[in-house]
Amino acid sequence: MLEGFGPILRKDLRLELRTGESTVALVSLSVLILVVMVLAFGPGGARRAEVAAGALWIALIFAGTMGATRALLAERETGCIRGLLLSPVEPATIYAAKLAVAMIFMAEAGAAVLIVLVLFFNLDFGAALLRLVPVFLLGIAGLAALCTLLATVSGRVRAGAMLLPVMVVPLFAPALIAGSKASAAVLAGASLASVATWLKLLAAFDVLFVAAGYLLFEHVIIED
Amino acid sequence: MKSPMSIGLAAASCLSMLAALFMVFAYVPTEAEQGIVQRIFYFHLPCAWVAFLSFGIVAVAGALYLWLGHKIWDDLSYAAAELGMLFCTLVLVTGSIWAKPIWGVWWTWDSRLTTTFILWLLYGAYLLLRAFADDTDEVARFAAVLGIAGVLDIPIIIVSVRLWRTIHPAVLLTRQGEHGLEDPRMVATLLVSLAAFTVLFVWLLWLRLGTLRLRARLAKLRKDLALLEIAGAHR
Repeated sequence: MLEGFGPILRKDLRLELRTGESTVALVSLSVLILVVMVLAFGPGGARRAEVAAGALWIALIFAGTMGATRALLAERETGCIRGLLLSPVEPATIYAAKLAVAMIFMAEAGAAVLIVLVLFFNLDFGAALLRLVPVFLLGIAGLAALCTLLATVSGRVRAGAMLLPVMVVPLFAPALIAGSKASAAVLAGASLASVATWLKLLAAFDVLFVAAGYLLFEHVIIED
Repeated sequence: MKSPMSIGLAAASCLSMLAALFMVFAYVPTEAEQGIVQRIFYFHLPCAWVAFLSFGIVAVAGALYLWLGHKIWDDLSYAAAELGMLFCTLVLVTGSIWAKPIWGVWWTWDSRLTTTFILWLLYGAYLLLRAFADDTDEVARFAAVLGIAGVLDIPIIIVSVRLWRTIHPAVLLTRQGEHGLEDPRMVATLLVSLAAFTVLFVWLLWLRLGTLRLRARLAKLRKDLALLEIAGAHR
């Protein structure tokens, strides 16, 4: 079913290893967003965990949508998408591979954001940060699923780069609520079990939109 | 379009809307605790119902378009999205007018308000996509995908926002099976109002769908004409 998944994934990762463009763009953009957050809200205070969690998710959403736009533009400029469509690979498989690539890039940017977050907000290294990892991974899976599907749409209409966040943010809203609530709780020292409801919600969101993207991708990728 | 269907729908929605107005202002008793402002509820809830209904139509018609590929499903989806945006806006506005005297604020991040607002944003994204793009088959497919994704999202939005916070009154049914409308006349008024808004919605949808169909026909005629002119110039 997923024939062609491996080669597409390897191609994108090799390209990234040679140019490093996405990593540099995503990491610098998300770190900049964090700086803006810190300057706007101040690093300390009693609501440190909440502000830090909020900053993490804001950085993620905007870096994620921009990263997805960029990745797709590059594909289109080089004609790679057309090549992939001509090859005997199912559109759904292309989606799965692109989703995996987007998740890897977002996880990279997220790791950078987490490190900077710890430094900027004076969070303690250790268990709290480890507990943030599953929340974070569940969040980027849903975001990557949405961005991969909708960046294909926004890449082909006028003002698409602006339109992508307009489409993604309301759709991502439930995951954003769950993710930022759960992140704030674990950063403040709560256990993972105490945020299980939010984690389940995130997981449901992921399953729904990965499945939706997998099924709907062929309708947005084909060209007339 | 002066089709019998259109005239019938126009007459039905005028009459039912007059009946609803009469019942809201002259027939139904004033609610004891909230006073006169509660009457806006008989417009607020039907608007919400129509907004949700049209969101459903956007997704179902979008799915049918992806499946069958006939342009009429796309036009239906587009028309429903426009009306959905209109009624969703009305829900937010009437809700605000009610909330100011009752809750003391125009807006609060209650669960149903937040859900409705997120739906409003989803409609907005859908219509922006339509506005930015040309009227091509490709964009019709994009819009269908976005509409389907939006409706899939609704249950998760509702659950997440409810867990987040809620203070909205349970108007229709609470967990104990009670509802907030104690007088049977209130229930009757609500039902008539719901019917009136549904008929109005169907009429508007019918008109808008007709306009979109005409627009598609006009575009096709223009294209044919241009082709004929080119053929004539070559002769």
